[in-house]
Amino acid sequence: MKDIITQLFEIENKIKPEDFQAFKRNFQRIYHELEQEGYTVINPIGQPYDERDVAIEANISNEDKRALVITKVLKPIIYKSEGGIRTLIQKAVVIVG
Amino acid sequence: MENINFGIDLGTTNSGIGKFQAGKVTIFKNPVGFKDTLPSVIAYRNNRILVGDKAREMTTINPDQVFSSFKRKMGSAHLYQVPDSCETKTAIDFSALILKELLGFITEEKPTAAVITIPASFDTIQSNATKLAGEAAGIHEVLLLQEPIAACLAYANVQNIAIDELKNWLVYDFGGGTFDVALVSIDNRELKVIDHEGNNFLGGLDIDHLVLEKLLCPALEKELQEENLWKQMVNGENTAYSKLFFELLYRAEEAKKELSIKEEAFVEIEIAERYIEILITRKDFNKLIHPKVDETIKLTKHLLEKNNIKNSEVDRIILVGGTTYIPYIRTCLSQVFDTHVDATIDPTTAIILGAGYYAGTKNKQTTVTKEALPATLKNVKLAYEVNSKDNEELLTGLVDQDFSGYYRVTRTDGGFDSGIIAFHSKFNEFLKLVPKTTNIFNVKILDKYHTVVYENEHIGINHGIYNISGQPLPNDICLEIDDTLGTTYLEQVFRKSDILPLNKKLYKTISKTILKASGEKLIINIVEGKSDTSPASNLCIGYLEIDSEDLPSNLLKGTDIEIDFDISESRDLTVNIYIGAITLEINQVFNASAKQVSAVKITQELEKVLVELENIYSDEFEMADVPKLEELRVEVIELLKLLIDIDGDLLTDKIYNIDERKRKAFQAYDHLIRRRNVVAEIEEYQAQKNEIREELLLKPNPKIEHAFNNITKNEIKFLNSNQSSIIRSKIRELQKIANEIYYQNDQSYIELFYYYAIKPIEDYTDENQAKKIMNNGQKAIDKENYAELKAIITNLYHLLKVKPKNFFEDQSGTLGLK
Repeated sequence: MKDIITQLFEIENKIKPEDFQAFKRNFQRIYHELEQEGYTVINPIGQPYDERDVAIEANISNEDKRALVITKVLKPIIYKSEGGIRTLIQKAVVIVG
Repeated sequence: MENINFGIDLGTTNSGIGKFQAGKVTIFKNPVGFKDTLPSVIAYRNNRILVGDKAREMTTINPDQVFSSFKRKMGSAHLYQVPDSCETKTAIDFSALILKELLGFITEEKPTAAVITIPASFDTIQSNATKLAGEAAGIHEVLLLQEPIAACLAYANVQNIAIDELKNWLVYDFGGGTFDVALVSIDNRELKVIDHEGNNFLGGLDIDHLVLEKLLCPALEKELQEENLWKQMVNGENTAYSKLFFELLYRAEEAKKELSIKEEAFVEIEIAERYIEILITRKDFNKLIHPKVDETIKLTKHLLEKNNIKNSEVDRIILVGGTTYIPYIRTCLSQVFDTHVDATIDPTTAIILGAGYYAGTKNKQTTVTKEALPATLKNVKLAYEVNSKDNEELLTGLVDQDFSGYYRVTRTDGGFDSGIIAFHSKFNEFLKLVPKTTNIFNVKILDKYHTVVYENEHIGINHGIYNISGQPLPNDICLEIDDTLGTTYLEQVFRKSDILPLNKKLYKTISKTILKASGEKLIINIVEGKSDTSPASNLCIGYLEIDSEDLPSNLLKGTDIEIDFDISESRDLTVNIYIGAITLEINQVFNASAKQVSAVKITQELEKVLVELENIYSDEFEMADVPKLEELRVEVIELLKLLIDIDGDLLTDKIYNIDERKRKAFQAYDHLIRRRNVVAEIEEYQAQKNEIREELLLKPNPKIEHAFNNITKNEIKFLNSNQSSIIRSKIRELQKIANEIYYQNDQSYIELFYYYAIKPIEDYTDENQAKKIMNNGQKAIDKENYAELKAIITNLYHLLKVKPKNFFEDQSGTLGLK
C-alpha cells in the first residue's frame, strides 16, 4: 500500500498549481479513504530540519548560516494505525537545503 | 542451565540483534523507524548524541561531528575528539553505544549474555576490545563468533542442510561499504575460517555513484544542454546542483533495487518544473557494474588459489550483504566458479540469524546477581500539557536528587527521537506532535554509564483533539442517515465536549434513486443530542430538503455525496453539499437561533413509532412500564392530531411546541423500548454468531470463515454503539452467511423444492408446465440427483407470477442518504 500512496503523492505533486483546483476534491477524497483504512500521510515540505524527526530521511546538501528547511519531498511520511497503535511504515525521503 | 539466545551483528556499516526462540531466530526491529538494522554511526549535534540513521544523515554537513566505521579502529589507541567538549572517546566507547542502542530494541528484560560477531580478520586485541564494548553495554557474558561462520550457520540452520563430509563454503559478503570473502571448511562437528580476502572501500554505494555518474549524468547533460554535470554536482560550488546530487543518488539507488527484479527501470527527475525520464536497462546496468563485480571475483579467485582450492572443491557460495541482491552478481559467481550460489535467505540479516542460532546452542556460564542491576531512580516528576494545539509541546523532567545523567524521549510510533542528552536534575524538551491524534512518548533516564534507571512509556499528548481556549460542544452533533433495513439512525459528526470551532467532511452515498421532477426529496437532517438515541428524540439544528425539481439531472442510487460541516465559535452551522456526478453544490448556513422543523418529517416519525407501539405485547414488559407505554401511545396519537390541526399554519409557533413534545415522547420511547430492543438484538447477534461458529467448526470453509471474521472483527465497537440499526444490519449479514452455509448441503434443496411445490398452482404462469417440472423434481429427489433438482427449482422460480421477496436485499432509504 505504501508504494501506491507514494505514487499518488508523486501524481499530486506533478499537477501544476493552476490546474490543481480541478483535482483537489479527488485527492481529499482519496486521502480520506486512506485515513479510514488507518493510513496517515504527511508531506513535510517547508518544515525546518529537525534532527530529532526520525520519520524523515534527509539528504542535506549544505549547512550554511541559514536555517535548514525541507525543500523537496521525494517520498511522504506514512503512518499506519491498527488496533489503536500508530506505527511509522515509511520514512519521508527529503532534500534539505 | 539457560542458553544465551541473543545474537548481535556488530557491523562496520550496520548492526542488528536477534533472539533464538522456539527453534528459530527472531530479529528485533528498531523502535525508531522500525528497520531490522541500525547504521553503526554516532553523531554529536546541538548537545545531543544521535545514534543510527539520524547520525548518518549528518555525514555530509558536519563530518567532524560524525563517527562511523570505528570498528576498524577496535583495539587501537586511536582517540576520537568529541565536538565542543574536552572529552575523548575510543572505538570501544562508540561500539558500546551501538550495542546499548541495539539492546533498546528489546522490550522484554534486557539480556546479560550475548553472542557478538567479529570480522574474520580480527586479532586477539581487536576481539578482546569487542568483548570490552559488550561489557560496557551491560552484557556481562560475551561470546565472540566470526562473521563468515555466523553466515554459514544461518544458511545451514534455515535450510537444515545435512553435512556428512568435509566441505568448503565461500562466504561472499558484499555490503553497502565493504567487500569480504571468506573460505570456510564445514562438517557436522566444526566450522572453521580457513582464509579471507577483502576490500574496505568497495560496496553498494560505489555502484550507486557509478549509475549516477555514467548513466544519469550523460542523459541529463543532453536534456539540460549542460557539460560536466557530475563535476558541477560534486565540487560543491553550485548549491542547486549539490541538492540535485542527493536526489539523483536516491533515484540511482531506487533504480538499482528495481533492476534486481525488473529488466528495466525508469528514473524520473524534476528539474525546474520539467519532468525528465531516463530509461535504464539491466543490460546497461550490468555492463556498468562489471568492473566492480570483476574486482570481487578477482579477490575470490586469489583466495582460492592461495589456499590451493579448485572451483570444483567449493560446495556452495553463500551470499551476505545487500549488494548481493543484484542478479548479475549471482550469475557471474555461478558462471565463474561453476558452483551452487545460495541466496535463499535475506543477505542483510544473515549474520544476525547465524549469531542467534549459535547463541541458542550455548549455555550461559555466569549468573547475574540482583546487586549488579542498576538502582531504579525514584521521585521523577514529568510535567507536560495533555492537550495541545501546537506542533510541539514542552516536557519538563525533574529528578528529586542530585542526579547527573542523560535523558532520551522517543515517540512510540517510531517518528521522533530526541537523541541522548546530558542533564543535571532538570531537563526540558519540546516534543514533536503528529497532528490531530494522540501522541504517546517514552521517556528514559540513563545514568552516567548510559544504563536505563527510569522509564515511563505512557506520556500521552493529544494534538488538536481539544482546544483549551474554545467552548466545548454540550451535545453530540449528528447526521441522520438511512440504514439498509428501511429505517434511519444517527452518525456522529462531532462529539460532545469537542471544542469549537469544528470542521469535518463526511463522504456518503445516495440510498435511493431520485428521478428529476419525480417529487422525491433528498433530506439532510442534522441534529444535536445523543448519537446513540433515535433520531427523532434529538433537536434538529439543520434541515435541508433538496427537491427533485432542483436537481440538474437524475440522481442515481449509489452516487457519492460529500457533506462538509463547519461549526463556528458562535455555533453557526454551515453545511456544504457537493454531488460531483451531477455537478450540484449547495452551501447552507443554519443559524443557531432559528429552529429547523419539518411538519412532514415529524408526522412520518410519529406514524412509524405508532405502528410499533400498537404492535407490541405489553405482557413482555415489566408491570410498571405498561401504563407508561399506553401514555406514550396516547401522546403520539395526540401529536398526530395536532399536526393535522396546524396544517397551513405558518404564523404561530405551535409547530415548535409539537416538535418539543415529540422529542420528549421519543426520549420516553428510547427509554422504554429502544434500549430493550438493543439488548434483544445483541442477544440475537450472539446466538447467530455462535451458531455459525459451530457450523464452521463442523464443516470448515475458508471463504465463509473470512466473511464471518470480517463481520465480527469490530464487534466490541458496534455492540456497544447502542445503535439498533447497526446491530440489526450485522445480524442480517450473519443470517446471510448462515443461509450460505445451509445451502452448502445438497439436501437443503429438497426443502426449497417443497417450498415451491406446495404453492397454489395458479401462482405459476404456466400451470401445466409447472406440474410437469414438479413431477420431475420429485423423481430427482428419489434419485438423489441434486444437480437436476437445483435446475428444477430455478425453473419453478422463473415460472412464478410474483417472485418471492429477497430477504437480504438492501432497502431503499427514506432520506436518500447512507
